[in-house]
Amino acid sequence: MITGENITKTFKQRGNVLDKREVRALRGVDFSIPRGGAASFIGESGCGKTTLGRILAGLESYDGGEITIDGVPMSGLKPKARQPYFRRIQMIHQDPYSALNPTRTIQQTLFAPLQLRAKQTGRDAKWIEERAAEVLSLVGLDPGTVLGRYPHQLSGGMRQRVVIARALTVDPEMLVADEATSMIDVSLRLGILALLKDLRERLNVSVLFITHDVATARYIGDDGDLYVIYRGQVVEQGKVDTVIADPVHPYTQALLSAIPVLHGLEVPGEEPVVPTSGLDESKEDTGCLFARRCPFATEACTAAPPPLQLTEGVPQRHACIHPRRRSVVAREV
Amino acid sequence: MSKQAPGVRIDGLTVTYNNLPAVRQVSLELAAGTITGIVGESGSGKSTLALSLLNAVQPPGRIAGGSVEIDGLGDVVALRGEDLRKARGAKIGYVFQAAQNSLNPLKTVGKQLLDLGRSHGVDDLRGLVRDAKELLGRMGLDGNRVLDSHQHELSGGMRQRVGIMLALVLNAHLVVLDEPTTALDMITQANILKIIREVHEERGLTTMVITHDIGVVAEVADRLAVMYGGRLVEQGPTREVLASPQHPYTRGLIRAIPRLTGDIDEARALPGRPPTLATVPAEGCVFRERCPLRMEVCDTVDPETQSIGGRLVACHAVKVKEHA
Repeated sequence: MITGENITKTFKQRGNVLDKREVRALRGVDFSIPRGGAASFIGESGCGKTTLGRILAGLESYDGGEITIDGVPMSGLKPKARQPYFRRIQMIHQDPYSALNPTRTIQQTLFAPLQLRAKQTGRDAKWIEERAAEVLSLVGLDPGTVLGRYPHQLSGGMRQRVVIARALTVDPEMLVADEATSMIDVSLRLGILALLKDLRERLNVSVLFITHDVATARYIGDDGDLYVIYRGQVVEQGKVDTVIADPVHPYTQALLSAIPVLHGLEVPGEEPVVPTSGLDESKEDTGCLFARRCPFATEACTAAPPPLQLTEGVPQRHACIHPRRRSVVAREV
Repeated sequence: MSKQAPGVRIDGLTVTYNNLPAVRQVSLELAAGTITGIVGESGSGKSTLALSLLNAVQPPGRIAGGSVEIDGLGDVVALRGEDLRKARGAKIGYVFQAAQNSLNPLKTVGKQLLDLGRSHGVDDLRGLVRDAKELLGRMGLDGNRVLDSHQHELSGGMRQRVGIMLALVLNAHLVVLDEPTTALDMITQANILKIIREVHEERGLTTMVITHDIGVVAEVADRLAVMYGGRLVEQGPTREVLASPQHPYTRGLIRAIPRLTGDIDEARALPGRPPTLATVPAEGCVFRERCPLRMEVCDTVDPETQSIGGRLVACHAVKVKEHA
């Protein structure tokens, strides 16, 4: 179980002494991901979802709040002592082309972390070979044909599977997949999503899925939680399928409205929500951060920040003082 | 508008890289004033096809056969030197894949605009800047600010709009957009697609959109053409193709799209992987390795493109069904 409580992170722009601009990437985010569970963070570019993923993988520090891994709060540990915990959280990057060393064969890529582990646990070379074959089989690749190859000899989908296999060599507790399918060919995308779902079931690894494409979040498991993040805050949260079916926050509705409609196969929802302007972080807002772009904003919205509260009738939470159900998702004809 | 949207007729086009065909025997008509979407995976030849419209395939690639007739320009495959340079930009606008990387990082957008004007012999540069500002304003940007900016000061969606402005500012009426929304998030994508549609109508354009994402085509295109392994396997009106795809590849591709509604278990990835230039079969159907309807004839004979109720499909299995 991995939980985060009130995580904050501010990036300070370096350089100019007089103009100290700050970007508040995370403004207090709570989440919890059970062992073997799934969570998806969705939102626009710049909403903070990637920062959160990087913090969890130990690639970025955080300013405030508490991350607890298996009941152990990280704040009480020295950086060195945190390492073994964060090692259990492995990151799958967006671009499988740059995530693998082009001068190394897949065998070399997989053996490196395994050799380290073998040394730590006193295992022999045979274990390394067996384990490398095992992780490749787990991701649906044939060790015999793949081990001797270089990354450029594999397709994008196969490369992403190798990246996942490499993450599995350290027996992770959680995989953080940051836009892990967006650079994969459409015909192969579902294969990678199905693999992540399969790994959850077979290895009991949890998956944190970071994406701007809400639809893909459904395919790593309908039991997963969805966190809609806007400018570093969770604005709506619940089970994937219920949030998609029953969103009450205008921002969630705008994200869902933006998904292309397959005209001919689908008809668009009756009440699409379109933000009144683009994302502009240069101004600080009082009250609701989305109010400036929200077509339904009233004066009350800018008065005070709306708290994340329970949604009536569904096990869901939202941060909006004017929650209303709207039909935004396209239906099949 | 003074000029009319041109029609484009691509006939039997073959483009090779070191004698390996990236585009093979492609025939496609872009009717004047329509938006045509070309859908394909990586290595399908869609970008090569788009570059052929400007006769801009880079060596070692070359157009090995066929013609690209554009109204008012003739066969661009035969154009050379100055004639070709003048046609690009002035008659045919091209918005490159990842417009974010196609802008000069050292010059402001305004300077690049003036370079464009000078290289095309525009006398009235003030007028050009005015047109550019108007176009940017039309797309919801502050023209003055954008022209004074370097590319790193603009967001992805803004750069994409700058790319569209540069493609249209010389008053081109044929526009090619290569992956116009890749790397943009959903809300920005929806916004750009809306702009493409509106500008297309207002300026009376013939537009070609190249993408790997069927959703993008579904939103903007009147007609849809599906490419696989350098061949056009199916084309027809977008709605009809989406509602009842005929070619097994089109069917598989549509079924592989992650969707917001419907049964999760019904969607599945296509088996196998798309061919590369080196692995695409020299004879027979290019899709047969991944095809659920594969027959003996598919191994040896390239399926001919045939018309089925307003749809053009290249598949042996579809033919059998029709005659049965």
